Amino acid sequence: MLNLLIVESGIDNTALENALADDNVETVKVQYAPSFIAQVKDMRPDAIIFNLETPSDELLADLFMLNRQCPLPVIMFATDGSSATIHKAMQAEVSAFEVNGLDADRLHGIIHVALARFKHQQVLKNALQEARTQLEDRKQIDRAKAILINTQNFTENEAYHTLRKLAMDRNITLGQMARNVIAMAELLK
Amino acid sequence: MKTFIKVIEIWIPDKERTQLEFGSGLYGGLTEFKHASEKQHFAYDEGLPGKAWAARHPIVLSRFEQSYFKRTSAAQKAGLTCGIAIPIFSGDFLLAVVVFLCGDDQEQAGAIEVWNNEGATDHALHVLDGYYGSLTQFETQSRQIGLPKGQGIPGRSWETAMPVLVEDIGKATEYVRSGDALKAGISTVLGIPFVNGDERAYVITFLSAKSTPIAKRIQIWMPDAEGRQLVCRQSHSKNSNNLAEIFETLTVNKGDGALGRVWLTGMPLITGNQDESYNEELDDLSRMLAIPVIEQGRLKAIVTFLF
Repeated sequence: MLNLLIVESGIDNTALENALADDNVETVKVQYAPSFIAQVKDMRPDAIIFNLETPSDELLADLFMLNRQCPLPVIMFATDGSSATIHKAMQAEVSAFEVNGLDADRLHGIIHVALARFKHQQVLKNALQEARTQLEDRKQIDRAKAILINTQNFTENEAYHTLRKLAMDRNITLGQMARNVIAMAELLK
Repeated sequence: MKTFIKVIEIWIPDKERTQLEFGSGLYGGLTEFKHASEKQHFAYDEGLPGKAWAARHPIVLSRFEQSYFKRTSAAQKAGLTCGIAIPIFSGDFLLAVVVFLCGDDQEQAGAIEVWNNEGATDHALHVLDGYYGSLTQFETQSRQIGLPKGQGIPGRSWETAMPVLVEDIGKATEYVRSGDALKAGISTVLGIPFVNGDERAYVITFLSAKSTPIAKRIQIWMPDAEGRQLVCRQSHSKNSNNLAEIFETLTVNKGDGALGRVWLTGMPLITGNQDESYNEELDDLSRMLAIPVIEQGRLKAIVTFLF
């Protein structure tokens, strides 16, 4: 059963709650407050739903931060459909932004499309992060190898194997070991 | 790896050379204490660095409360309880003061001592001052003995005017206090001589237990026989560190890199990232203090403390 957090902001949510109850979704309601991020981290819902006129800058900043710390699908029903608001909501990585679109019949579809989109985005983000890390690791490994070549008169092959042995001895990745070598070299710089 | 030394600072004369200002420091995660320290200035004979400047020799302050220490409240909050200040002179003129601050938790066994003789007619070193934490029996024994040149780590350091590092003091029976040190849980001892050309000799000793080593690694670098390059003569850490060993095969020219600069200028130096707090549990080395050991204006050695 889905567990959704409804964040209230002065709009009557009875229709939304009834539709969710009919769809066999468990809901918890909270008022938006400065402790929003901490509350969400504590509750760990499957998704967060907002039904509001327009998201405030504070809320969007919180969502942006939440996305960095504890990413969750966010579904936002709003009456403000201005392009500026939509742009800000997208920057805060809201999974679904529906303008005047709170329709009980469509709610099930909107939620599940948002969940699927969020999942897909997370896969892409993780892949991007992994590629970035690999690229950064490769740069650091090349730098560490260059240090070993310059200071120890190693060949490139010897430098690589030394780096690999050091990493294996410590049970850490080659990238982490490269950073240690660079840090050590920086000390003597 | 928790280390016995928690904070290291280098205080340097300001533009007018009448006060000491903050040069650099390693504070681990003690950011509040760092902020309280960076703003400080010490006049001659003021605070721990100023007192060391006036005394012209290393001094130990074994408790901060009701003392001349200027940052007692911040130090208490940071869990720092004792300090040692080492002035580095070029003739009559101060180059810098290195300050070590240590914590006083129950888990650590360690001591810092300053030994000296009373002048040319006194042929033995005695404890001038020291911090012993909970090692009260070791303190009593240490304060009662005198060490002539060549005896014990202070005596050997005095005789050679060189730093002396002994890794397993309990097994080194040639040292007078090895049995007492073993009983007190002390495993590693570092002695550093400070001679300013007068008849008095001063030797600082850092004594630490395996559980709380002095630093993550200690190295002693010395000029080679021709005085052309620095070479690493000795190093020690609680756990073996093959990365550090690779870098210890390097030779250093005067003026090159951090150690070369210490040789060139006679100034102590801190390198590495001083802003980030570091993980004391990890074996990686990312910060270094290098202290020159100078005799009659010539560099005898550089002692490095790596964290």
